[in-house]
Amino acid sequence: MQKSLQDNLFSDLQTLLGERARDGDFELGLYGKDGSVLEGRPSIVCLPQSTSEVQEIVKICRRYDTPFLARGSGTGLAGGAVPIGEPVIIATAKMNKILEVDLDNRIAWVEPGVLNLDLSNELLPLGFHFAPDPSSQQVCSIGGNVANNSGGPHCLAYGVTSAHIAALEVVLPDGQIAQFGDLTADGAGYDLRGLFVGSEGTMGITTRIAVRLTQNPPEVRTLLLDFADVRDGAAAVSAIIAAGLIPAALEMMDKRAIEIVEAFVNAGYPTEADAVLLVELDGLPGGVEYGVELVRSVATRHHVGNVRVAADEKERALLWKGRKNAFGAVARIKPDYYLHDTVVPRGKLVEVLEKVYRIADAHDLIAINVFHAGDGNLHPILAFDSSEKGVLERVHAAGRAIVTASIEAGGVLSGEHGIGLEKRDYMGMLFSAHDMATQDLVREAFDPDGFANPLKVLPTGSRCSDSFGQHVPDGAWV
Amino acid sequence: MKKTPFDLAIPVEDISSCVSCGLCLPHCPTYRATQEESASPRGRIALMRQAQRDSSIDDAFVGFMDSCIQCRGCETACPAAVPFGSMMEKTREALATQTSYQPRWRRFGYSFLGKPRLLRLGSIGLAVLQRLRMVPRRLPLPKLPFVQKALIDSGSDVWLYTGCIMDAWMRETHLSAQRVIESTGAGVKFPLKGASCCGALHVHAGLAPEARALAKKTMASFPGEAPILVDSAGCGAQLKAYGELVGTEEAEVFSRRVMDVHEWLAERLEQLPTTQEPRPKVVVQDPCHLRHVQKAHESVHQVLEQYVDLIHLNDDGLCCGAGGAYATFHPEVAKEVRERKLSLIRSVEAEEVASANPGCLLHLQAGGVRVRHPLEIIDGLLTRES
Ligand SMILES: Cc1cc2nc3c(=O)[nH]c(=O)nc-3n(C[C@H](O)[C@H](O)[C@H](O)COP(=O)(O)OP(=O)(O)OC[C@H]3O[C@@H](n4cnc5c(N)ncnc54)[C@H](O)[C@@H]3O)c2cc1C
Ligand code: SF4
Ligand code: SF4
Repeated sequence: MQKSLQDNLFSDLQTLLGERARDGDFELGLYGKDGSVLEGRPSIVCLPQSTSEVQEIVKICRRYDTPFLARGSGTGLAGGAVPIGEPVIIATAKMNKILEVDLDNRIAWVEPGVLNLDLSNELLPLGFHFAPDPSSQQVCSIGGNVANNSGGPHCLAYGVTSAHIAALEVVLPDGQIAQFGDLTADGAGYDLRGLFVGSEGTMGITTRIAVRLTQNPPEVRTLLLDFADVRDGAAAVSAIIAAGLIPAALEMMDKRAIEIVEAFVNAGYPTEADAVLLVELDGLPGGVEYGVELVRSVATRHHVGNVRVAADEKERALLWKGRKNAFGAVARIKPDYYLHDTVVPRGKLVEVLEKVYRIADAHDLIAINVFHAGDGNLHPILAFDSSEKGVLERVHAAGRAIVTASIEAGGVLSGEHGIGLEKRDYMGMLFSAHDMATQDLVREAFDPDGFANPLKVLPTGSRCSDSFGQHVPDGAWV
Repeated sequence: MKKTPFDLAIPVEDISSCVSCGLCLPHCPTYRATQEESASPRGRIALMRQAQRDSSIDDAFVGFMDSCIQCRGCETACPAAVPFGSMMEKTREALATQTSYQPRWRRFGYSFLGKPRLLRLGSIGLAVLQRLRMVPRRLPLPKLPFVQKALIDSGSDVWLYTGCIMDAWMRETHLSAQRVIESTGAGVKFPLKGASCCGALHVHAGLAPEARALAKKTMASFPGEAPILVDSAGCGAQLKAYGELVGTEEAEVFSRRVMDVHEWLAERLEQLPTTQEPRPKVVVQDPCHLRHVQKAHESVHQVLEQYVDLIHLNDDGLCCGAGGAYATFHPEVAKEVRERKLSLIRSVEAEEVASANPGCLLHLQAGGVRVRHPLEIIDGLLTRES
């Protein structure tokens, strides 16, 4: 951007936001990254506190022909919040109020910067929670959950974010404010709410969100099953679901994952096992008991070793803490990781897992698997040290092979982390040119000039108006 | 903003161990107060990385580093075991040696802590002003005594560390600790002359050479092999870190002798006397340097539970904002951080708060709640009974 233009843009934003508009060198660097390994750089960072401020920022950006990009907590794993082409970042972190809890309608209106777990903690005394629970739930924002249509261990039974969003207030890319969805079960017209959820910031910025509240189950039981062979574990997953049971959560970890997680939490994860399943059952007491016995008997048929039932809430919390911190704990063996997110049919879990190990071996990398087994959502982690020469090429090659293997097995590109920048150019592996052109039309209906989170989700070339910088950062395997 | 050259030497394996997952953010008091990336652990690490890469910094960088409370809540939260505390100490040390980060007047203030007699005189002066109502009530000061009770050895089973400001302002706490230790049948010895200040505040301020000098004097004041018990979480954490700070075998051995007094008591629960006193409802605040650094907070819970109905705060040990000298230099942030803790405290039904760190105790007290050291609470119950 031209220097004088940039100065004027900044001065207008400063007039609006005061010291909450930033362009300091050090600070800009902080908003260049999210939870992925990708990196960019914004031109300006704005920290609005209200819908009208967001609206004004968008209008000012439009006046200066500058793209903008919403950012929640910056934990996305697909580079969705990574600024490409020097956009203005609109960070929602300061918009973190729970505005209204309406128990009659089982709805809460929240601002987008509210942290997922903060909301559930706040609702705890009322007997409710917000069901989507990404492993990053202590820090990710509800706005980010909406934008990525995030999932979590308990989404197996409860459904992903989209099922828990009743309505949204959105600042559209042209600066208008709209509400999508309402509190009735099935509003008239197209489900624009459903369209917006998962749009990764490319259709505008949500500034108020009506989330559905889920009642806390009266009884919860958490089981840890260990297996001497990862194949038995994977087979048990399919068998549990085939037996007619949908547990609240059904997670799997392989040997390496168990070791690193145990080093962090000391929860008594069996480090000698080849794989563990973390199974949670909830509901009415009798049903839960029945479920526990069913899981036990199915697992026994698949050569389970030990079946540990968490004795109390403390033990249960500790087991989950291990699972939910697994990605970060990978840094204990290597300083960098590349996390993949593909979905395969449950029946193909064993086959694809074995391929993942083979691919990692062939590229001289370490693969770690900890994932939402119940819905076949694989999260192979490739651990590496970026200071090793040439390692990134190997990581990229292995990543591509893993994605290819998943798609060949009848799977899809992303289970929950979104497409963002990371998987953008893989869209062609799954969709035909015609499919993508149609998706482009949908995007253009919201953002004809390409201002909102440009260069994300859909590959360049699939839209003609992507004229902002084409630079893709080092380390991206797009 | 003007850039100045800066040489920051943090080992690459430390600085690259952060994977930017953000899981530490909600456990950082300054992030909670501001929602600013620059006031978060992830952000501060990224800033260090940037400074190291560019070999230069500006005033904004100094401000971002200075706003960290060094509570190390981020270390407990971090699944990647990022050694944040030591990285921040290295950054502060580089700032103190290469920039005007610690101006002369501040260094002078810190040097006071190592001079017990001056400290005592200053405290008497403050006590006078307090009686004349010339010290604002909102300042985190206890009611200061004119005359101090003497510290009298009762044996040599354990040492009881006394410290600088705490001894000048809150000697009663040491006397309570002494009585509770004695109630298990052990005899207490107070440090020889020379143990003035542990140096924790100096380390936090980046004044490591000064801290090392204090450490050497302190180590010489606890001859023998008896355990060294500490009733201040901040001092205890520092004494346990002498091994790293001083880097000698002698310092390692010394640090291994140090225990928080509650850790020692928790190993002797059955020796502690019981009381018939009604059990008061007490809410416990875990000082960061006990919970996140020493990881010994549960021993406080165990000891207190012998005598009181204990209530825990559901905040994963989020810092209260005191942070040694932090509340003095950053009163606004410290107050905002404290407000979060206070509102949680007010939401539970308790007669008082127990805090095993004098800094947190005074900071919370200045926020308008009743706070005592756990051993003062227990001593009170035991004394009432006899
Ligand atoms: C350790 C770890 C574990 C994780 N586990 C899971 C998991 O189990 N399941 C899962 O699904 N994900 C998981 N994630 C990924 C990530 O946490 C989720 O995608 C989360 O929803 C992102 O939220 P955020 O607030 O960090 O968003 P950001 O990363 O800041 O942004 C993500 C995207 O949302 C857009 N956005 C943000 N706010 C708004 C808004 N108000 N309006 C419009 N667009 C917006 C951004 O432009 C960007 O495209 C994990 C991440 C980490 C680091
Ligand atoms: S030490 Fe405390 S204040 Fe500093 S970054 Fe860590 S959590 Fe935040
Ligand atoms: S310090 Fe630890 S918890 Fe925080 S972002 Fe870095 S790796 Fe994650």
